[in-house]
Amino acid sequence: MSEEQETDIARQVAFRGGGFAPTPYRWIGLAVFVVLIGLAEIGTQSGFISPLTLPKPSDVLLTFVELYNSGLLWTHLAPSLTRLAVGAALGATLGIGVGVLIGLFSYIRAGMVPLIAAIFPIPKIALLPLFVIWFGIDEASKYALIAFGTFTPTVVATYGAVDNVDRTLIRMGQSFGLSWKSIVRKIILPGAMPGILSGLRISLAIAIILLVAAEMLGAEHGIGAYILEAGSLYNLERLFAGVVILSLLGVLLSSVIGAIERYVLRWRT
Amino acid sequence: MTMNRREAITLIGGAAAAAGLATPALSQNRKITVGALRFTSHSGSFIAFERGHFADAGLDVELKFFQAAQPMAIAIASGSIDYAVTAVSGGLISLAQKGAVKVIGGALSEEPGIDGQKILASDAAFKAGLTSPKKLDGKIFGMSTAGSSFHYMGSKVAAAEGAAMKFKPLQKVGAIIGALKSGQIDAWSIVPHIAKPLAKSGAAHIIGNVSDYLPNYQITTVFTSANNAAEQKAMTGDFLTGFSKGVADYNAAMIARSAGQDGVDEMVRLIHKYVYADRPLEKAAPSIINGTMRLNEGAALNVASIEDQLKWFQSEALVDADVTMDRLVDTSYVKTIRA
Amino acid sequence: MDIRLSGISHSYGDFEVLRNISLDIPSGKIVCIVGPTGCGKSTLLRLIGGLEAPNKGNVLQLGVPAEDCLNPLTYVFQDFALLPWRTVAGNISLVLEDHDLSRADIRKSIADVLARTKLSDFARALPKQLSGGMKQRVAIARALAVKPAVMLMDEPLSALDSQTRELLMDDLVALWTRQPFSAVYVTHNLDEAVRMGHMIVILSRCPGQIREIVHLEKPLDERSYGDSDLQFRQKYLWNLMRDEAQAADAELINV
Repeated sequence: MSEEQETDIARQVAFRGGGFAPTPYRWIGLAVFVVLIGLAEIGTQSGFISPLTLPKPSDVLLTFVELYNSGLLWTHLAPSLTRLAVGAALGATLGIGVGVLIGLFSYIRAGMVPLIAAIFPIPKIALLPLFVIWFGIDEASKYALIAFGTFTPTVVATYGAVDNVDRTLIRMGQSFGLSWKSIVRKIILPGAMPGILSGLRISLAIAIILLVAAEMLGAEHGIGAYILEAGSLYNLERLFAGVVILSLLGVLLSSVIGAIERYVLRWRT
Repeated sequence: MTMNRREAITLIGGAAAAAGLATPALSQNRKITVGALRFTSHSGSFIAFERGHFADAGLDVELKFFQAAQPMAIAIASGSIDYAVTAVSGGLISLAQKGAVKVIGGALSEEPGIDGQKILASDAAFKAGLTSPKKLDGKIFGMSTAGSSFHYMGSKVAAAEGAAMKFKPLQKVGAIIGALKSGQIDAWSIVPHIAKPLAKSGAAHIIGNVSDYLPNYQITTVFTSANNAAEQKAMTGDFLTGFSKGVADYNAAMIARSAGQDGVDEMVRLIHKYVYADRPLEKAAPSIINGTMRLNEGAALNVASIEDQLKWFQSEALVDADVTMDRLVDTSYVKTIRA
Repeated sequence: MDIRLSGISHSYGDFEVLRNISLDIPSGKIVCIVGPTGCGKSTLLRLIGGLEAPNKGNVLQLGVPAEDCLNPLTYVFQDFALLPWRTVAGNISLVLEDHDLSRADIRKSIADVLARTKLSDFARALPKQLSGGMKQRVAIARALAVKPAVMLMDEPLSALDSQTRELLMDDLVALWTRQPFSAVYVTHNLDEAVRMGHMIVILSRCPGQIREIVHLEKPLDERSYGDSDLQFRQKYLWNLMRDEAQAADAELINV
């Protein structure tokens, strides 16, 4: 040590580049669920949490099992899934169609964008009575509500995605003399696909939210109707069972889109 | 009377104290909150409040208004308000089962001979032959939610006529009226002051009376938190005393018409402060008068009717089968009727 | 087929990019266009291929292209412009699908150009799996597939590192030697110009005007990395351009 001169002192350079890089820890998400539900169970079992505040998670599970065993789960799920599928398919298809048209034609863009901006913030739930008058109290008004709710976000996502297609690819298509149709079908649509799919993620979540609203009027069966009925009967176990079903539905739809993305967008780096 | 309410209360309270009159034992000027909907059926509370009956009973009442019965029941359960009047529903029974609320008295009743709730048919259904409740088989009946009083009434009428009906939940009265007008539902039952104008406009037709099927139907009840009912007996008794005086005033003026037309007019003016306040008095008056139904004297409770309702909700699996009458009702406060 | 530019001027709004350019591009030769940054080289190329229309002057095709030519004026872009969702073969197929060709013909064309660019083993690879040099080879193969009369190459090697650039230059020379094609080759790299060009057109800085045209007679396949006579020509070109480049660099960007 003493031999070393002052200028030669060797020091480890401190590492300071850590953090700010999201690292996936899968099990933590699950652990949060387990801990929260466990706490709720202990709280309600011990009486610390009154049955008026929160139902026992085990009772919710029991309600769910009963629902499944009685076959009522499918009685409620089938119409809800149909409404979701028909409504969201209608809304998304129309939304993608209009979005692409807005992306391609300046006149349509000039005409439609302000209209879409005006429609977007309308709470679709507020229009439910109007929809009942237009489309009747049966399935049509429910399809319409869900379709309308998924339409606007899909339009916005789609024309944004079309705008973001790499212009050099379009120039390339033109320089090779590709027809307009080919450019749209082979360059613009696939190029817009990532944006359209991430838009669909949001649209489908909105569709699930609107499912409950759609089933407010005149639905005897359906997960939304089940939740509303449980709410009006102040039956918290059923209410939570219904909410859990909706959550699971959301997770399921999101993972389906994830799978579609992985397949359709496997070209992405 | 030119005094405002607060002055009136201090004056009355002060006078009572000074004179050493028979003031209620425990609850001197005790502050309580009473929940209400803006319906004529809640007139008992309005009158007791306006005419100082609550103050006489030693209570400083604040009225709190709600848009629907459901949040009001939850407000009682959570202790945000102390007393309220509401229809028996699946939700109310569930809250009672959880030990949150208790029915302590009766309010609005069907009574043979007095105009009560009406059974309505939509214009389209009426023209297609739905002219009497006997023809309800296969029809669609409107209701707010499953387990509501509409659901109960419709089911009872259908059972009596051997009709199988479909029930459509539409959440709000406004939505039900819309669906009835556009013929999306075939039939509905509702209080007279809503039924009559609908029939008059031609959008719907009155095809029967609820009282023909449920002669002494206890439609609304006075309820409070289970804690108030069990622990605050003096305060609860005082509330019912004040409320009953309001009810007595209402029945005397509107049903017995003991003070003639002037009495009716004065009562309508009082109620108009709370009900249909957005319309001018002359327009609101017919609706208020149309809505006249008997409120139980002394807040007496028809336990036979309540029991029938409880049994029906249980038979439909809308509430748990193990809810007992004791869990739902505290009969220690008012006279009970068994008919 | 030759291309003739006569009196071309072009401006974007008030900003004049090109002034009075007249030039003949003979068939079977590679014409390099060099000049300082922002002198309108790329604009000129877009005008030649019809991706933009000049404000003044004409771009003329003299003669007719060969019968089997599918797209007479064909670009090779600096950033490759490959569809990332199509395979190598799919990207080439793209530019053939719109023509009246049978599936078998398309397959044959693809196989042919992939062989010529030494890409046969990569036909099913996606662009994301390829290096930059490979991507540009695919773009060149795609351009060859439509049998162009003139290739319009916009800084084709500028996005590549210098080793890859050398390799690709050798490939291009080999391609040309086997089957001469006409090309307009825009670059800012003088080394590329002296290696690839039969004719080098030097543009002045903005607005771009033709400063000088240099002809190189030495056959392409005899030129190679570090040739002293090429270095001499390169130095000459650089002396011509130096002051312009300096002035161009000091200019405020006019946007």
